[in-house]
Amino acid sequence: MALPNTNSTANSAALGAHRVRLWYGALLLIITIFGVRLFYVQIIRYSHYKSAALSDQLKQYEIPANRGIISARDSGQLIPVVLNQKLYTLYADPVYIKNPDTVANKVSAITGGSASKLADMLRTKHTRYVVLGKKLSGDQNKRLLALKYPGLGTQGQDFRTYPQGDLAAQLLGFVDDGGQGRYGLEQALDQQLKGIPGQLRAITDIRGVPLAASRDNTEVAAKKGDDIVLTLDLAIQQQVQTILQKSVQSTKASGGSVVVMDPRTGAVKAMANYPSYDPAKYNEVENAKLFANAAVSEPIEVGSIMKTLTTAAALDKGVIAPSTTYYDPSSWLVNGFRITNIEEDGGAGTRSVADILNFSLNTGATWELMQLGGGSINEKARTIWHDYLINHYLFGKPTGIEQGYEAGGYVPDPAENGAGINLTYANTTFGQAMTATPIQMAAAIAAAVNGGTYFQPHLVDQTIASDGTVTKKAPKVLASNVVSAKVSQALIPLMQNVINKHNIIPAFDQSQYIVGGKTGTAQIAKPGGGYYSDKFNGTYLGFVGGDSAQYVIAVFMDKPTNGGYAGTAAAQPVFASIAHMLIDESLVTPKTK
Amino acid sequence: MRPSNARRRPVIGQRGSGRQDTAGVLALGRKHRPDYWLVILCAALLSIGLVVVYAISPALAQASHVSTSHYVGKQFLAISLSIVAFIATAQVPLSVWRQFAKPLLIIAGVATLLALALPVNPAYPAHRWVRLGGSLSFQSVEIVKFAVLLALAGFFTDRIARGWLDDFNKTLKPLLIAVLVAGIFIAGPQKLHAQSDLGSMAVLIAIVGAMCFVAGLPLKRLAMVVAVLAVGAALVILPSQYRRERLATFVHPESDCQDAGYQACQALIAVGSGGMVGLGLGRSVQAYGYLPEAANDSIFAIYAEKFGFIGCVILLGLLAAFFSRIKTVAERAPDDFSRLVVCGVLAWLSVQAIINIGAMIGLLPLKGITLPLISYGGTSVVFVAAAVGLVFQVSRYTTYTAPSGTINDRKGNQRHENRHDGRRLRGAYHPDPSGRA
Repeated sequence: MALPNTNSTANSAALGAHRVRLWYGALLLIITIFGVRLFYVQIIRYSHYKSAALSDQLKQYEIPANRGIISARDSGQLIPVVLNQKLYTLYADPVYIKNPDTVANKVSAITGGSASKLADMLRTKHTRYVVLGKKLSGDQNKRLLALKYPGLGTQGQDFRTYPQGDLAAQLLGFVDDGGQGRYGLEQALDQQLKGIPGQLRAITDIRGVPLAASRDNTEVAAKKGDDIVLTLDLAIQQQVQTILQKSVQSTKASGGSVVVMDPRTGAVKAMANYPSYDPAKYNEVENAKLFANAAVSEPIEVGSIMKTLTTAAALDKGVIAPSTTYYDPSSWLVNGFRITNIEEDGGAGTRSVADILNFSLNTGATWELMQLGGGSINEKARTIWHDYLINHYLFGKPTGIEQGYEAGGYVPDPAENGAGINLTYANTTFGQAMTATPIQMAAAIAAAVNGGTYFQPHLVDQTIASDGTVTKKAPKVLASNVVSAKVSQALIPLMQNVINKHNIIPAFDQSQYIVGGKTGTAQIAKPGGGYYSDKFNGTYLGFVGGDSAQYVIAVFMDKPTNGGYAGTAAAQPVFASIAHMLIDESLVTPKTK
Repeated sequence: MRPSNARRRPVIGQRGSGRQDTAGVLALGRKHRPDYWLVILCAALLSIGLVVVYAISPALAQASHVSTSHYVGKQFLAISLSIVAFIATAQVPLSVWRQFAKPLLIIAGVATLLALALPVNPAYPAHRWVRLGGSLSFQSVEIVKFAVLLALAGFFTDRIARGWLDDFNKTLKPLLIAVLVAGIFIAGPQKLHAQSDLGSMAVLIAIVGAMCFVAGLPLKRLAMVVAVLAVGAALVILPSQYRRERLATFVHPESDCQDAGYQACQALIAVGSGGMVGLGLGRSVQAYGYLPEAANDSIFAIYAEKFGFIGCVILLGLLAAFFSRIKTVAERAPDDFSRLVVCGVLAWLSVQAIINIGAMIGLLPLKGITLPLISYGGTSVVFVAAAVGLVFQVSRYTTYTAPSGTINDRKGNQRHENRHDGRRLRGAYHPDPSGRA
């Protein structure tokens, strides 16, 4: 019985060994097929799969370029005004935070703030991203990363810093969280400051984080934005800001703007508004109006300071001479409305061109317009004056200064429109029924006193490209023969006369310097038509220099309430303080002849 | 008398008593030098796996927010445990394992049911893990494979001894019923809280099939079973949307790379972008989140990406050599039980390797099973090492002259003293009675 069984076992074993070999043979066949398949996939189809892999893995990134920095001169020395600083945002993925309290305590010890508040944020459900801190310093960033908590990360970002605090804030503008320049210079020169972003083509993980070691990574370096050197003189800017702030406060004005410009080049030496803001904390500003640089963006009816330009135009046309006198009836009836002067100017009488500016005669400016029309306000008068306003003084359109949101102001069309166009035009001769910004007034008077060349007002002195190339910005002439050189020479003493007659204390030494100006007390248009009877803007337009005008100064005071005529009571002191400051600081070259 | 003795090793000598060649008889029961190549190849494969896991651990760690040493550390622990398992299965006599098969089967069943009853990790919704608290957990199906291996070997040995191999009711029928029951729990749909682990079920069926085959079941019967299984597979696959998709993506993986075919596509991209020599050890990109299960099921693709075609050929060569050693042990196993055990191990490891690699190179559908010894994963490594330990034990008792008497007779007597590879069957000439079991 045992034997057959044994044989059957032996047979089954032999059969088994045979079948094991069969099995093994099949296995080897499959492995061989795998080898062939691998040859096909890895060798023959290599390029297909390689490109498929790269199309998934190779991603393109933009490397933000460093934004150009902004500096300005202070007595010849370059001082940075806007710099960049890398700050960090701390974020967390609550899913990976195991002990919110421990983490919150450690984090708050570094970032400050309430640990319990952080712990609550770390317990947030249904989110994978909570921001625990913003604008953290590089040192804080290092200490946070040293904690090595899973789920905690930081993200670096360049932020603008302002070593000069709120200096020229509205002129500079700011850079928002998206890296976009907003307002002022940052907006106007955004592209130039921003530079050209670089590109990184890198093998990344599935989340898009580049892997360090890869042969396929290519990088095009970012091109840093241009650095910009402003035309501003920081000493003047600082003083102007202080003077303006004091004056706005003492005259209880709503605000004020000042432009100080070099009439020989159009270079802006100072440009200030009050109230202002701290650009480093732009996100805490509640009233967005504060961002605007009113000196370029808020055109108003400028008032009597316009008479300087009216007079220059009439002189230039040759219809009057500096010594001309005329009979002033103390009022003109134009389109049924009576144009009058203020009571202090007295009644009718013989007046000179100098009187028109000195007493600020509305009737005088209107008379000058009549002279342009050959004796009356007519189409010829309107057309000529319009031509001066638009083509000589370049009103009605932005000057093109490097600022965001620059406004162009308004000049009425000279064509007869059946709505008292002659009255409208009479008004424009003394700065009503038309609007202009401080920068436009400064640029126009600069052209009128510098011999007749209208330089585009500008803030950029030079740009420094990323490769170190310095490009000096040449003054740009927008109009020549604004008025003749002779008229320009005649206008200066007319304006000096205004200063001399106004009893400014301390007085200006006209033997050493030339200081001239003109006040303006502008009526403010009511939204529904007509003017407020109790609200005025005070304006002043003047110059200071030695042999020639070296600075023109435009002052706009918004609704001062200190009594008196706004131009004389509020704006003139600002001008006087600035002019004295310029002379006292030896920033004005005295006369040589 | 036979049936009772058939369970003990001395039966080897007894079986040999039916033979004329006494030298061969002496050799049969002898313990000799085991096949160390098994250990060397096993270690080589484990090392490759460890190196790949180490190389991609930054990617894995980053994805799951653990330290970079987490995965390598766990794999080292698994390898340490697997050495213990290996020694246990290599040293504890097979006869003991044979007796232990039934309790082990019960433990495996309990573990399976436990995995079904226990709450699941939301990241892996299938009920495949038994969690023992803390970080201690294992995949129940690995115990099932191990237990089935031993139980089946015992079952077939018994059927061979009784001469019931051809008896459908006594052999195939209970087997089919067992496979069906196991299939319901392991491969059943997730809706019924089954494990839905078709890959492991395929491996199990392959083990059963291979053992049926080498046990000597009539081919006609086997063909019939295969037909039944094919119908069964169709019944399992077709009702499940998930599996139909997998099958469809298997046929045209690149048609749906964004969705159902994502893993298949990414695996092919990983393999293909490896090219001739590969990207290099530290340069795998697909592991960084592109290819799911980079350390486990997809490790072959990552290996192929790193080491290219040359590396793949080397790995396939190592696997072939490893299987070849196991095959040799199976051919020369001293008795039916050990032969069946070794064949089962060969079936287990080779089928798992084929299904895994085949899926990675787009020849087979994705199954979600590990590449034995290479893939990261404690349970798999430990139980595969245990299985190899069984083979290693058997390799101590292999005999060249083996029970295949007819072949031996034809080739003469000399051959039994020297194996074909020239290695002497040590101990054959220096019997040490005290060393006998």
